[in-house]
Amino acid sequence: MSSTAPAIRVRVPRLAGAALERARLTVVPKRRRRRTSPVPFLLVVSMLTVGGIVGLLLFNTSMQQASFAATGLQRQADALQARQQTLQMELDQLRDPQTIALKAQRMGMVLPSSPAVLDLKTGKVLGDPAPATGLDRLRLLAPPPRKPAVLDPPAQVTVVHPPATATHAGVDSSHNTAHDGGRGSHDNGGPAGRNDHTGNTDHKSHTNNTSHGTNH
Amino acid sequence: MFIAVVLSFFGARLVQLQGVEQAKYATLAASTGGTVTVELPAERGEILDRNGRPLADSVSGRMVVADPVQTSKRAPDLARFLAKHLHVDYFSTLRALTRKNSRFAYVARRVPADLAVRVVNEATDAGYKGLATRNDPVRSYPDRDVAANLVGFMGTDGPLAGLELTFNKALAGRDGSETYEVGAGNRIPLGHSTVTPAHNGIDLHTTIDEDLQWYTQRVLRQTVLGSGGESGFAVVLDRRTGETLALADYPTYDASNPQASPAKDRNSLAMTSPYEPGSVEKVLTLSSLIDAGKVTDRTRLLVPGQLQSGDRVIHDWFPHGPIKLTLAGVIAQSSNIGTAKASRLFKQGQLRKYLTAFGLGQRTDIGVNGETSGLLPSNAEWNGMLQDRIAFGQSVSVNGMQMAAAINTIANGGVRVDPSLIQGRATTNTGDVVGTDEATSHRVVSKNAAHQMTQMMERVVDPDVGVAPAAQVPGYVVAGKTGTAQRVGDRCGCYNGQFTVSFAGFAPADNPRFTVYVVVQRPTNGGGGGSIAGPAFSKIMSFALRRYGVPPTGAQPSHIPTTW
Repeated sequence: MSSTAPAIRVRVPRLAGAALERARLTVVPKRRRRRTSPVPFLLVVSMLTVGGIVGLLLFNTSMQQASFAATGLQRQADALQARQQTLQMELDQLRDPQTIALKAQRMGMVLPSSPAVLDLKTGKVLGDPAPATGLDRLRLLAPPPRKPAVLDPPAQVTVVHPPATATHAGVDSSHNTAHDGGRGSHDNGGPAGRNDHTGNTDHKSHTNNTSHGTNH
Repeated sequence: MFIAVVLSFFGARLVQLQGVEQAKYATLAASTGGTVTVELPAERGEILDRNGRPLADSVSGRMVVADPVQTSKRAPDLARFLAKHLHVDYFSTLRALTRKNSRFAYVARRVPADLAVRVVNEATDAGYKGLATRNDPVRSYPDRDVAANLVGFMGTDGPLAGLELTFNKALAGRDGSETYEVGAGNRIPLGHSTVTPAHNGIDLHTTIDEDLQWYTQRVLRQTVLGSGGESGFAVVLDRRTGETLALADYPTYDASNPQASPAKDRNSLAMTSPYEPGSVEKVLTLSSLIDAGKVTDRTRLLVPGQLQSGDRVIHDWFPHGPIKLTLAGVIAQSSNIGTAKASRLFKQGQLRKYLTAFGLGQRTDIGVNGETSGLLPSNAEWNGMLQDRIAFGQSVSVNGMQMAAAINTIANGGVRVDPSLIQGRATTNTGDVVGTDEATSHRVVSKNAAHQMTQMMERVVDPDVGVAPAAQVPGYVVAGKTGTAQRVGDRCGCYNGQFTVSFAGFAPADNPRFTVYVVVQRPTNGGGGGSIAGPAFSKIMSFALRRYGVPPTGAQPSHIPTTW
């Protein structure tokens, strides 16, 4: 061990010298920095800024524009909707069964009381068909309101007795007069104009009364 | 130092803006814009018939209001202009436009929106100042008097009658509102805004058939006026479902102008006014008796000329000595004595139980306000004398729908279906849920008993043995029953010599499709149920069968014997 130690000691300074030689610092040659112009950068930044501002302005303007348009269109939509509803209301009134029935009756139509039913499978006519007549007319309008007595004086009835010569006819007509008079007084309590429409019903029920009496 | 000077300038300006000129800028801001709140009105639900046609309809409308301070200067001209274009009264308009010490006056209410806006714009263009419109929905009743007694009507501020009132909560919906910022009349985009959406009212679907209802009302009016009657009603039920296809009342009114008619004409007498059903009730008594196994349609009865009942005597409508009638004959001839005598076969409490099962004494709850439950004497009040009279329809009172549903039970083979007026279901203001979905059914009498009763009722319209040949429907077999009951007077609480005449029936008798019930109160022409209500029944039934395409079944009416 001791024999090798001086040998190392000798080698060390040599090594250090070489290392020192190699490790000598020199100044790195200064690289020449190229000076670039700031203009493009500023240009880009300002373009972005200006572009943003202008864009925002345009966007805002267009939104305002849209808002004006929306207000106008909303007003128009409201008006159209109101118009549609009014027309619908008119349509419903025109489709009212009463309106249709009045028009149909003015054209001479009546509801049939006993129509024919045709069985398409067998081709047979079912039921008890009979042509409709004027008697099937339905009274469509309400009676006019009752007038005050001043405006609706009772009818003046003058009974004219026929000459005594026609005895047979005389009996007949006096009977008629009495009957009409009775009907007239009966209708006095009712609304005016009832007689025309209800004459039929009256007559029917009258016949029924005589045959069946009152059902208590 | 420099900064302090600048800041003090800013401070001075701030004080100027906020302190000194604050009012000026606030006014300026308010005049060019600001925050507005608009009401978003909920649309009131429609009332529809079974085919979706409107019986009551909502239309957006406006009220025209005036600021008299601005309008009074040119009031006469403006009033003339408005009278011409808005169809309002000139004098009342003039009064509104010149009202003293006021900045608000109504010119017209519930004007269709397009008309109101157009007229006000024209007025503004013509240089008139001080007119404005505000939201005011219009309720329209396009069919006027059709189903008016059921539908009801709207007053200025709310519903006043009928379904409009009963289902107001559901129909009305809930108004919403919207708040947003405006500038120069336009909404500021991205400005502050809040919206509470409106909840529109729910449409009410009724089971009424508009056309059939109209026809029924016209026939009813003709019938009541023709008989010199006071009032009347008619009910058409769909036999299978119990749906009310028509419920007509007379007198009636125009729902689009309710003020023109007296208040008493505006409700449904059929539902609210109890009356004694008379002989129609015999159908219930005798079918119950058949169901109880006591009699059959051929049971032979010896009917005396009069029947002692307690301290009273029961008579028939026609004088007779002892006659031999079958049970069918009792129905066909509408014998009170025969019915009372047969009903004595019931055990204690049995008849009352049957009548309760038929629905008497309980409300039908179809959704009509103020429905009467009628009057079925309690078990405690019940006695033999009372039962004799109840058997033929006296001393018991009903409403029209109860009786129609009871007769429909026979048409439906003995099963009573709850009648209904609302399709699906709807909730009334008081929280009751009504409608076809809620309708239940239960058996009242056996199928056999209902069949026997139907055959007996076919004899009623027989021209030879029945009392109501006028109720026949050409081509179809009809089963029905007349009723002529004495009316209890309003004042004395006794029978006052007036009558209720009625006819109830169904067709085609062998497979019924409809039940129709017609009642006329207080006729003055001396007619009875067969001669007054019978023809009306025939017309309404014929129309219904035709409208729904029900072919004649080709069956022959029964010929079970009425005498022996």
